[in-house]
Amino acid sequence: MRKYLKYIYIFVFITVAYLLLPVMNADYLYTIQDNNVFINGHTFMMETVQYEGGWLTWVARYLTQFFYYPWLGSTILILFWVAIYWMTIWMFDIKGKWSFLALILPMLLLYHLLDYGYWIYYAKIPGIPFRLTLTTIFCLLFTWGVLLLTRRFNFSWKVKGLIACSLLMLILVIGNWLWPTSLWRYNDRFRHSILTTLTDKNFKHELRMYRALDEFRFEDVVKEMPQEGEEAPTNLMVLYKNIALMHTGQMDKMFETGNCGIKPEVSDSLHIRISLLGAPLIYYMFGQINYSYRWAMENSVQYGLSFRSLKMMIRTALFNQEFEVAAKYIAMLKSSTFHRQWALEHEAWMMNSTNFYQSQDYLTIAPLLENEENRLDGDDGLCEQFLLEYFSDLSHANTPLMEDVTLCMSLWAKDYYAFCVHFYDYVHSNPNRPIPPLYQEGAILLGNAEESPITLDGFRFDDLVANKYNSFVQDYNQLQQQGVDEQEMGRRLKPLYGNTYWWYYYFYNDFNIY
Amino acid sequence: MKNILSIAMIAILMAACGQHLTVPTDVTMENRLPHIYPDYTEVTVPANICPMNFIVQEGETDAMARLTYPGGEYIYGDGQKVLIDEAQWQEMLDSAKGQEIKVEVFAKINGQWKGYQPFNIYVAEDSIDEYISYRAIQPSYVAYERLSIVQRNLTTFDAHDIYNNMSVSNEKVGQCINCHSYKNFKTDNMLFHMRQGYGGTMLVTNGQLKKIDLKTAETLSAGVYPAWHPTHNLIAFSTNKTGQSFHTKDLNKIEVQDTESDLILYDVDKNEVSIISELEDELEVFPTWSPDGKKLYFCSAHFEYYNDSIEKSAEMIQRYQEVKYSLYSIDFNPDTKEFSNVQMVYDAASDSINQSVTLPRVSPDGRYLLFAQAEFGCFHVWHADADIYMMDLQTKEVQKLDAVNSNRSESYPTWSSNGRWIMVDSRRDDGNYTRPYIAYFDKQGKAHKPFLLPQQDPNFYTFYLRSFNRPEFMIEPVTISPREFAAKAKEDAIPAKYADR
Repeated sequence: MRKYLKYIYIFVFITVAYLLLPVMNADYLYTIQDNNVFINGHTFMMETVQYEGGWLTWVARYLTQFFYYPWLGSTILILFWVAIYWMTIWMFDIKGKWSFLALILPMLLLYHLLDYGYWIYYAKIPGIPFRLTLTTIFCLLFTWGVLLLTRRFNFSWKVKGLIACSLLMLILVIGNWLWPTSLWRYNDRFRHSILTTLTDKNFKHELRMYRALDEFRFEDVVKEMPQEGEEAPTNLMVLYKNIALMHTGQMDKMFETGNCGIKPEVSDSLHIRISLLGAPLIYYMFGQINYSYRWAMENSVQYGLSFRSLKMMIRTALFNQEFEVAAKYIAMLKSSTFHRQWALEHEAWMMNSTNFYQSQDYLTIAPLLENEENRLDGDDGLCEQFLLEYFSDLSHANTPLMEDVTLCMSLWAKDYYAFCVHFYDYVHSNPNRPIPPLYQEGAILLGNAEESPITLDGFRFDDLVANKYNSFVQDYNQLQQQGVDEQEMGRRLKPLYGNTYWWYYYFYNDFNIY
Repeated sequence: MKNILSIAMIAILMAACGQHLTVPTDVTMENRLPHIYPDYTEVTVPANICPMNFIVQEGETDAMARLTYPGGEYIYGDGQKVLIDEAQWQEMLDSAKGQEIKVEVFAKINGQWKGYQPFNIYVAEDSIDEYISYRAIQPSYVAYERLSIVQRNLTTFDAHDIYNNMSVSNEKVGQCINCHSYKNFKTDNMLFHMRQGYGGTMLVTNGQLKKIDLKTAETLSAGVYPAWHPTHNLIAFSTNKTGQSFHTKDLNKIEVQDTESDLILYDVDKNEVSIISELEDELEVFPTWSPDGKKLYFCSAHFEYYNDSIEKSAEMIQRYQEVKYSLYSIDFNPDTKEFSNVQMVYDAASDSINQSVTLPRVSPDGRYLLFAQAEFGCFHVWHADADIYMMDLQTKEVQKLDAVNSNRSESYPTWSSNGRWIMVDSRRDDGNYTRPYIAYFDKQGKAHKPFLLPQQDPNFYTFYLRSFNRPEFMIEPVTISPREFAAKAKEDAIPAKYADR
């Protein structure tokens, strides 16, 4: 039995690794791949290898692209870890029950990969999953070579162990001196984010929502929203969800489907910014083509080029009819292994404008472009705030989609002056269209407010909405007379009115833009 | 056995010889020039430039080119690429100096060879400075980090980092690197500036590297746009309060604006900063010296803020199209270090011209002055209408350099040390990435069609996602290593003193 222990240990490790990687965290691994880039060809290779540790980066980037299929990338990575396990056993001549010691390095590497959490967006050195693994293999091979050379001295396993450990330490010190910029610096510490990766449901929702939105699977985006009683969604999830509602003609359902986002709590000093997590796609989905391009570029400069950014730059260049620069990005993406097909499809859009005008991208985004005039502005890195202010301030909404967007964004931003302007425009331009309940809720609330900017004379609201508002006011006043504090009042009224704009207006005051 | 070996050797040699290219005989001629990238048709090149490799863009096909020079001919072809042997190219340049190399291109389309109108590459008698340096940066907006200053040998394809920003950056600390500058095209006196993170001016004087903090309580900022005095240990800088804002739809995408800017003089020997010009309502920027060092040219925009209810930066954004820079000069006495007599050199902002001038550069003989001009603003690299203009300083006549310009942005003009070559940053290729184009400037004062800086792989620019920002000529390489710069960057900067003028 003892001689089989080393096989049992590695079998258990492989099983656990598969469970933790492609089975439970496929979206995490896919996103790591999406934030990576590898372009076949001389220019990209030379661009990568010219820096210290460049060859390691190049190989790590090459291997990371296989996480396009998370099981494939995981298999390659686990094979490396199995190799590390056996090398350690052979090097230290570990036998029997002590074989588990050889799992220390693979377990640390597994932990290290899962320890990124939100850091997958912020890590500046590419090839996260393979860098440290390749470095470890390099160190072990070197140490193993030295041990083979000293074999004729017939050292005991203790001496061999001492030599191996000393050499590994030496390599670490020399490596730090030789490759100070890239080999060690970013990988030599734990980030305390493994709980985010493994247990933070919102983090996982965000990963899935991004991909679904990117692929125009709007129904899947909405399905990711947590149910009543579950953890509150993040602002980013609310944004993604509202975009999906917007493009399925249901933006007026935004408060029924949960609109009270929170800022993710991360366990270290990481400053989470929506601009990095998803701004290029969010701006794109709102028809803000230049800003989408801008953030794809900004993120590339700050955190390195990625497939994700490259794709957004292609899409925006096509919308802006900047075909030469689009061709440049497409040529790059065509030289990738797994994103080639995507590039070919978009090249066809460029070659034949009919293809483009029939594409889902164009059909989805174009209605948001029609009445946009150029504005010189800035978002100060706060994508959500910019969008809320931009659409609230927009003076004319001349498509049905833009009417919905301007109304909903002004409600979302609690900008009631802007809402009133858009509400009047809406009613005048749609005299025969029933007013959706959400806009009625907004109008009734603001119409009854002190110093109201809106007059309700001449408007007829649904009895259902009007009665519910009266009931809300009655319940609210009753709780207020009982001396119930604001927070408790919100909690008590939520079951009845949590899906109304009124509840959002009065009780969602923790709008933490990030 | 020996016979078999001999036959095998001959077979191998014949096979090798079989790869020798010959021009096809059955050719259909097209009555037009071939589509090649970079466009090297009818360009004039220096007598010491590296091979002008190009790619034939007549579809995905085999192509070849026959280069005929006074001493003979060579034929090249590698798929779509025409990759010229370096030694043979040098032989061609030596032989064709003052004459031309004729290029005939052939492309095999659907199994049939086609020939195109031949074109010439003219070889000037004049050589070019051996090196250029540029800031390799993605055409980014506010983000920085992955940028470096690179030196490129123009006679070969060698390119190396002078300084790489990633060598001192990590996830917490980052900095931007700004303009690099050399005294008289040499590198023993040079500088570049870094801001934020390990901010400071990296200054090399007589080969010694220092890090200086040029920001004083009396000045707007540290030094931004620099100009080394040609004879004295002095550097003129602009100081700027710069902001950026972004177009939601305009393809110019970004405006970089100075809400305030002044000019300062840094005395290297005394480590002293003094004010050259800080006029209220004037935005002074882009200093550059005349070759004798007795005149400082600069740009200035008259801009009065009149809305007290909003911040200056907000008003600047509202009125960004009103900011127009004209060209001025101020006399300088290098011995007393006194400035006097400000003169308008070119009133670009006047009603009749209504344009904005930036980035002036005087030719080494002092006769001509290049600048970039566009409708408004100071950051013409993002202005598609920006073009290069030239003023004859003797006649004061200004002309647009049509041969050098395109329908996209041209900016950062600069002269080679012998005054025979002009280099500009152009976005003509794709509208977004700036590339260095070099044009011959003949003794009659005429600029010729520019050529794109050659690369070993002509596909290089397609896959290279960085701009060549602020290209500068150098007659020698920078010898301080990137590691030395990085080590110095991490040190504290020596604060400069302020001196009243």
